[in-house]
Amino acid sequence: MAVRAAFENSNEVGVFSTLTNSYALVAVGASENFYSVFEAELQDVIPITHCTIAGTRIVGRLTAGNKKGLLVPTSTTDQELQHLRNSIPDTVKIQRIEERLSALGNVICANDHVALVHPDLERESEEIIADVLGVEVFRQTIADNVLTGSYMALSNQGGIVHPKTSIQDQDELSSLLQVPLVAGSVNRGSPVVGAGMVVNDWMAVTGLDTTATELSVVESVFKLGEGMGPGAINTTNKETMVESFY
Amino acid sequence: MKTTWKDIAPVPTSQEFLDIVLSRTQRRLPTQIRAGFKISRIRAFYIRKVKYTSETFAEKLSAILDGFPRLNDIHPFHKDLLNTLYDADHFRIALGQLNTAKGLIETVARDYIRLLKYGQSLFQCKQLKRAGLGRMATICKRLKDPLVYLEQVRQHLGRLPGIDPNTRTLLICGYPNVGKSSFLKNISRADVDVQPYAFTTKSLFVGHFDYKMLRFQAIDTPGILDHPLEEMNTIEMQSITAIAHLRSAIMYFMDLSEQCGYSVSAQMALFESIKPLFANKLVFIVINKIDVMRPEDLDAETQEKLQKLLKSANVELLQLSCTTTEGLMNVRNAVCDRLLAERNAQKLTAGTNASGEVTGRLGDVLRRIHVAQPLGGTPWEPAIPEGVKNKMKYDKDDPERPKLMRDIEEENGGAGVFNVNLRDKYLLENDEWKNDKIPETLDGKNVYDFIDPDIEAKLAALEEEEARLDEEGYYDEDEDIEDAEEADISYKAELIREKRQLIRNENKMRKSLKNRAVIPRSKKAVDLEKMESALEKAGYDTSAISARARSQSRPRGRSRAGTEDASNADAMEVDETPKQRLSRSLSVAARRAQSTNRRDDGVTDETARSKAERLQKLGQKKMNRMARQGEADRHQTAAKSKWLLAGKRGMGSTRSR
Repeated sequence: MAVRAAFENSNEVGVFSTLTNSYALVAVGASENFYSVFEAELQDVIPITHCTIAGTRIVGRLTAGNKKGLLVPTSTTDQELQHLRNSIPDTVKIQRIEERLSALGNVICANDHVALVHPDLERESEEIIADVLGVEVFRQTIADNVLTGSYMALSNQGGIVHPKTSIQDQDELSSLLQVPLVAGSVNRGSPVVGAGMVVNDWMAVTGLDTTATELSVVESVFKLGEGMGPGAINTTNKETMVESFY
Repeated sequence: MKTTWKDIAPVPTSQEFLDIVLSRTQRRLPTQIRAGFKISRIRAFYIRKVKYTSETFAEKLSAILDGFPRLNDIHPFHKDLLNTLYDADHFRIALGQLNTAKGLIETVARDYIRLLKYGQSLFQCKQLKRAGLGRMATICKRLKDPLVYLEQVRQHLGRLPGIDPNTRTLLICGYPNVGKSSFLKNISRADVDVQPYAFTTKSLFVGHFDYKMLRFQAIDTPGILDHPLEEMNTIEMQSITAIAHLRSAIMYFMDLSEQCGYSVSAQMALFESIKPLFANKLVFIVINKIDVMRPEDLDAETQEKLQKLLKSANVELLQLSCTTTEGLMNVRNAVCDRLLAERNAQKLTAGTNASGEVTGRLGDVLRRIHVAQPLGGTPWEPAIPEGVKNKMKYDKDDPERPKLMRDIEEENGGAGVFNVNLRDKYLLENDEWKNDKIPETLDGKNVYDFIDPDIEAKLAALEEEEARLDEEGYYDEDEDIEDAEEADISYKAELIREKRQLIRNENKMRKSLKNRAVIPRSKKAVDLEKMESALEKAGYDTSAISARARSQSRPRGRSRAGTEDASNADAMEVDETPKQRLSRSLSVAARRAQSTNRRDDGVTDETARSKAERLQKLGQKKMNRMARQGEADRHQTAAKSKWLLAGKRGMGSTRSR
């Protein structure tokens, strides 16, 4: 199930929300429309939490998490941390990291088993990520971009990387992550897929400008919906893809 | 590339054009000129008029020229379409005439400016300007026909459908009345007129539809009759243009039931004759009206001819009925699929070079349709909670839908009014704890730890003590200490203040100042007598001071005249002779005149003064020449007759005026 949404006229839903298999964080907005997009799909399944990080609404870019844990930057206040602790199930570990690269959502891209991180992340941070999220950590770049979290959207079933990633890089990353990967875009050609969408194992939220073709790629590669599989991209949908991108 | 021309500015008629230009000249340029002005100024005034008018003409004409599409710069389809609709030669000639007129007007302006440079009087200059503007107006009037024609073209051009020659296109063609328009109406939302007579569609119509997440355009063309190209009319030629130039899938519609009024063989003959236009294009023969007549029902001879046609042209036969919509979507999808496959194949070949390597943008696309699969290993199990599988799909129109935060927000006054309670969703052991007060922490410390529990009591005690002290008069001032010396000082100070106030009042009352400037006392000369009296009043001896003042004072006018006559100082005692008196009074008068006449100030003698006057006149010469009428100048308004000034008539007679 992939849905389109906008946070206060912004397409970058990945900036204002974090979605994992066991909880969702949503920025506090002027209205509840964006929150309700998540609520319609996830109500009574996983907790959805309004929150701020360091008083800002860019919670998606400042936090990184998966089913087992949540990492917040050092600028998070005690009250915000307490609020998160109260709102998120006790099985999820929450950890505040002392890290110079404080936009954790931009530098960490993780599913429940592996994480790709910025090559300049501190060693201590790397260990904390491995412990809290319960993942294997790899320092990687995506299409020569160090911000792995911005240029990649990842779930346990698939991933989308920057549209200019070479086929060789895609194959290497795919073998590393053990998930099928596709180079794609969201929001009518935006290459920042990590910031333009959020995804977990059964749903994805993308920006309102996402085209039908882009949405079909998202649904295929993340196996969202009945009978969807990444194979559709270069078989049944190949002609459409060539027509719309060439 | 531009595909629509909806934004061409309206083209005025020649009369409007003239009005626009001339009124602009009148509004934008100065209009006041007098015969008394210097001739160079008059010439410049009229030269400017002529030049400005020609510039405006040129500007407006080139705006029109630039607004219309240049036939050589647009897609061949649009070029041919414009040719069929408006006749390219006519169009070019009209624009050419505008261009020529622009050149002519510039030449006229140049000629008359040259003549104006030798204008001798205001009248002459004015007549030259009139002649120049008149010739420009004549040139403009000759543009009457091209301007009218261009305006018509503009109006028609703006109403043409926006056909993109390069996108995915289905082109529907065939004999009149075979059901082309009803097919377009069925597959898209285009509002095409469908009527049971031939040539209902007189121009190209475009409809859009979506298939496989892509937008297609379908173009309905007017019917074509089977005769040579030269004999075709404008309506048919539009179809031919579209068939010839658009990169599209062509659907040749046929009506086997012959309800359209043309025999099957005639329809096949038309297909044969326009076949040359189908080169390098996908072609389909679409049999319409299968609810009346199917190809299987044809007699053997016609059927054989049809099969031969299909085989020779290597085209596919499709069948549909627009009335029963039988086969409609199948036909559309089959054509779209073939078109997509064809376009894909073309793109893939265009993107690879001779040695089979992928180049340019095709590489980017291939990168995006590559699915990288992990080599070996087991895929991760998705962690999907149980609740997801049996969760109902949310439908916002369902009255039984689960209540969302948005609904709660609406109930509580909408966005901006409703404030969400962040604690509502807390996951705590006991739900009653949700809204408990939480200790505030600051820098990792509990703020409550730093609060004195007795602070309220302590504050109350302090305030009580304060009130008691106040009541007891602890803070009252005790200013009773006084001694004689202090009393004396304050008494004297009071006297001084009073005296000052008196002086001030006296000066205020003085009327002598009138409007003159206040001169500080330190700058003022003080009469010796006044000084003496003041000092005496204050109890000082003034003799020494006055002696000194007198010795230092400079003898003035009269007394100096006296010293000049020191030779007969003895005679001072006696009466002066009349002559002496006269000479003295003359000299005094002369001296006095010198000190008051401002004209003579600062000049030594008569010659110096006249020289100064000459210089002054020279300096003001330019100012006088360029003199503008100011508010200080005398001005007499135009004398109006009574009826221009009197108001409306009342109920009385007209005699009152």
